[in-house]
Amino acid sequence: MSGIRALLGLGVLVTTRCARGGGAYTRRGVCPAYSGWGQLNWACPKVGISTMETTKQLKYLSQEEAQHIDEELFTEYRFSVDQLMELAGLSCAVAIAKGYPAASFPRQSPTVLVLCGPGNNGGDGLVCARHLKLLGYEPTIVYPKRPNKPLFENLTTQCEKMGIPFLPELPTEPQLIDQAYNLVIDAIFGFSFKGAVREPFGTILSTLKRATVPIASIDIPSGWDVEAGSPDGLQPDMLISLTAPKKAALLFRGRYHYLGGRFVPAALERKYQLNLPPYPGTECVQRLL
Amino acid sequence: MNHTTAEQVPEPTEPLKYLSKKEAAVIEKELLNEYRFGHQQLIEIWGHACAHAITKAFPLSAFSKKQPTVLVICGPEQNGSVGLVCARHLRIFEYEPTIFYPKRTQNTMYQDFTTQCEKMDIPFLSYLPTEVQLINDAYNIVIDAILGTESDHGEEQEPFTSILTTLKQVKIPMASVDVPSGWDADKANADGITPEVLISLNAPKKCAKGFSGKHFLAGRFLPYDIQKKFDLNLPEFPGTDSLVEL
Repeated sequence: MSGIRALLGLGVLVTTRCARGGGAYTRRGVCPAYSGWGQLNWACPKVGISTMETTKQLKYLSQEEAQHIDEELFTEYRFSVDQLMELAGLSCAVAIAKGYPAASFPRQSPTVLVLCGPGNNGGDGLVCARHLKLLGYEPTIVYPKRPNKPLFENLTTQCEKMGIPFLPELPTEPQLIDQAYNLVIDAIFGFSFKGAVREPFGTILSTLKRATVPIASIDIPSGWDVEAGSPDGLQPDMLISLTAPKKAALLFRGRYHYLGGRFVPAALERKYQLNLPPYPGTECVQRLL
Repeated sequence: MNHTTAEQVPEPTEPLKYLSKKEAAVIEKELLNEYRFGHQQLIEIWGHACAHAITKAFPLSAFSKKQPTVLVICGPEQNGSVGLVCARHLRIFEYEPTIFYPKRTQNTMYQDFTTQCEKMDIPFLSYLPTEVQLINDAYNIVIDAILGTESDHGEEQEPFTSILTTLKQVKIPMASVDVPSGWDADKANADGITPEVLISLNAPKKCAKGFSGKHFLAGRFLPYDIQKKFDLNLPEFPGTDSLVEL
């Protein structure tokens, strides 16, 4: 990785923090690393300060942009849904393994509950569950509304054949969830979500909100407006943004924000000015926060 | 067992299985028909793991040339499409792959893999230089994704016989996907190419027994029931890696 890219990575992290703090970083010569604000402890090479001034900000996508990018990946770049879903689900599992190592769980068994919604976000959840099993976790899936499409049927079979149990429904007592699982993975709604939440997901989300077990959301905390967030919605502990973060991620207040879905062609990144920070080595995820 | 759990898991005392060509075909068929893995999904999983293996065997820092150039030679069938996916991921890992894909099957899926590479700005050569020195000078390593278990030894046709002849003289290191091209999957070929690195898919093949180079196994994704049914006895996979060095 060249020096400039390393600096860009540095600058991007800084400006992300700035956006969350409510102000964009534009002043020349001032390096927030020394302002005593935030936990930015890395050395800022003086030679990079003017470069940092022109640093481009990590893009937070609108719902429309997210949908266009998705469409282009499939139509112009000719990726297949199952190809990218495999990479996306793998990213989620790896992010979870980094944030919540199985050995760190208080309970004897590394149980996790995966809630899968009716669309592609649910598909990502199915792939994630399968990889979590391979990584040594004990996932259980709740998948109440299943699309009548071979892709989802196949992903379901792959999970079943890995010995992953499917619950017929989510218990409505939050204590039961807290007692049985170390972590809940929210793969209910993604970036296409709009409008009202249909059952059984309304009940599921309200049960989740009353549970104390940590929640890791895939791409968008379910129920949140993809751009405006939701003040009384789910408050997940981890968010795994796929491809690029959406605007709602600016309102994320949990401990872990990971970026995954390391498959974006350079030309697409340039077209939408995603300004993704570089991933470390061959990792399929990176921590943004 | 290929993952660590809280309980004590005894190390498998059974040896790693080396598959015959027939067994390899049966496993693949089961993955597709019974376990309902998608074709594209499997090739993506294999290609991704191959790229990882390459980064372990040949880290960017180890390259002597100024640019991290890699030549990926892709055959007309599945082995070639695994090479295409591998090239794409190498591009993401900041290597500079160039693909040579002389014979292409009329298959939408393979065409899509090709488009994905083209759209990642990966160049495709129109011919392979027969001057071995040109290859040695231009690239750091060659990835052989020409022929896999699907082909029958002795049935190679042009342009692959010439390509294999050229590869035998190449001085830069070579990595083969699943089976060194030109080898019978069941038996090593003393006259064939001699790659420094082999990346076995699912489980190693009989011809890999006694392989003296660096040997990687891309098999973490295999469902436990398949592993048990075929007595694969796969080793443990480190951390979150999808592959392991044997």
